[in-house]
Amino acid sequence: MATSTPTGSVLPRDEVLFDRSLRTRWRLGFDRWIGWLLPLLFLVAIVPIVDLVYFVVRAAYPVLSWGNLTNTQPYANQNGNAVGLALIGTFDLMAIATAVAVLLGLFGGIATAEFLSERSAGWVRTSVNMLAGTPSVVVGYFGYFAFVLYFGWGLSLIAGALTLSFFMVPYIFRTVDLAYTSIPRPIREAALGSGARPYQYILKVGTPIAFPQVLTGVFLAMAIGLGETAPIVLTTLPSLLVPSSLNSGVTFLTYLIYDGFNHPSTGPGSNELAKAFEAAFLVMMIVIALNVVVRVFAARYKKRLEGLYQ
Amino acid sequence: MSGAAPEGPVLSVDHLSVVSRDSKKKILNDISLDFPPRSLTAVVGPSGCGKTTFVRTLNRMTELTHSLRVSGAVRYLGQDIYQSNVNPVLVRRRIGMVFQRPTVFPMSVFENAAFGLRILHESDAEIDRAVTEALVRAGLWDEVKTDLNGSALALSGGQQQRLCIARALAVKPRVLLLDEPTSALDPAATQRIEQTMLRLKEDVVLVLVTHNVSQAARVSDRVAFLHSGRLVEVGSTADMLERPKDPLTEQFITGRFG
Ligand SMILES: Nc1ncnc2c1ncn2[C@@H]1O[C@H](COP(=O)(O)OP(=O)(O)OP(=O)(O)O)[C@@H](O)[C@H]1O
Ligand SMILES: [Mg+2]
Repeated sequence: MATSTPTGSVLPRDEVLFDRSLRTRWRLGFDRWIGWLLPLLFLVAIVPIVDLVYFVVRAAYPVLSWGNLTNTQPYANQNGNAVGLALIGTFDLMAIATAVAVLLGLFGGIATAEFLSERSAGWVRTSVNMLAGTPSVVVGYFGYFAFVLYFGWGLSLIAGALTLSFFMVPYIFRTVDLAYTSIPRPIREAALGSGARPYQYILKVGTPIAFPQVLTGVFLAMAIGLGETAPIVLTTLPSLLVPSSLNSGVTFLTYLIYDGFNHPSTGPGSNELAKAFEAAFLVMMIVIALNVVVRVFAARYKKRLEGLYQ
Repeated sequence: MSGAAPEGPVLSVDHLSVVSRDSKKKILNDISLDFPPRSLTAVVGPSGCGKTTFVRTLNRMTELTHSLRVSGAVRYLGQDIYQSNVNPVLVRRRIGMVFQRPTVFPMSVFENAAFGLRILHESDAEIDRAVTEALVRAGLWDEVKTDLNGSALALSGGQQQRLCIARALAVKPRVLLLDEPTSALDPAATQRIEQTMLRLKEDVVLVLVTHNVSQAARVSDRVAFLHSGRLVEVGSTADMLERPKDPLTEQFITGRFG
């Protein structure tokens, strides 16, 4: 059973590599087309993002100024577009929420990865996933009932920050859990086999290995927290003053966005809509900055861990 | 190494069985075996016969795998390490372990070797001394002495494995378990490790898991042959390799399976 090939030679049938069947031709064609299609789809995805960034930057540009960013008196500037107050408010909220979330996420994640039995760990992971999937307004109501009413802290910086931390804990928890469980088993066993107690293993061996991932989780959780609006609106009170205590009211960046669109032109001589765009621009910049920091850190630490357990 | 040479076996395994809780499979079946001072025992057998499981029972590493149930006794200087009031951390400090692939930690060469001493809160002077000694004994000192603060991850696989041996030796264990320590290494690196083992057996009881009969012939003075979780035969290396009593042993060493 010999067949001639397009190059002219005659070969036994099962040695022939050419294949002109329809199916093969279709598959090869598909492979070629998908090579064009994917960049196209990427463009489709990127265009709205670029457009969004452009839209926000254009709207925010006229009112962006150092004076507006640093002035904490909301209606003081001539055009009344100072966002310093909200910038500080967001910083305060994020600082407290991050501290609380890192503490809970880190301890919870390490405990789940290292100390809990498979079964209890499964339950904890499921609960955390449920928390992550809860609609933010529901979490906001919970924060309202728990912190504002039950603990009696009122609409306040601390109530808002703790509610905010609920959104960050799952992300930090999950990255910490994953970071520690993905450390090669033999590395863990070698540490314990050298006579280390589990906490010594975690401090001296596990943490240096898990650190880059943990840091990534923390930064991404901050980016998530930064965008949350509704739950903090529900648990804080907008204020015209820089927070002076945990019970103070607080104005924050996403509140300006929310408020600017609801009441586009309130306030003496101010343009709340421009202010909303200014705030949106800042949130966007901070999120981008966080992501850049994550990438730089991750790349650097990856290099340092190269060759681990080859 | 530390203290007076003990009378009788350092480690003695008595009717040891290991069962998997999940599959109810008997991974090790009624093994009894003594490890005298100044001995290097090679544990050989076909893949999956239970060699790794066996050495891991010798310093309670098996309990890091929750699905295994150990019965019988393993006595270290007469003390059953599985008794409830025995501290596994102390067991593992006396009975060290080296794994199939190098398990260096992401820190400097020095800190890797010092790991076990740091967790014992030894003084810096003592750590310096013990680390140097351990690196010398592991046959790595000459290669790393000029760059002790360099990252251990930059070492070659063979150097990393000797660093793991040094790390285990630094706390001066009386027993060192090695689970196929050269199976991931090239012949030159393998030879260095074999030389290290030959030197070490003068003062540390060595238990070497290997699938390689010729390695057992080169370094061990006793061979224990496992098959399907049973200890088929144990004897001096010369006897086992030249005059095996059991037909299974003979088949294995002549390379008919495994
Ligand atoms: N945690 C466990 N749970 C259930 N079965 C296990 C477990 N660990 C090992 N086994 C089984 O026990 C048997 C022996 O495994 P072990 O790793 O000790 O073999 P080995 O002799 O070291 O093999 P190799 O030469 O391939 O390293 C295998 O059949 C394995 O499937
Ligand atoms: Mg094995």
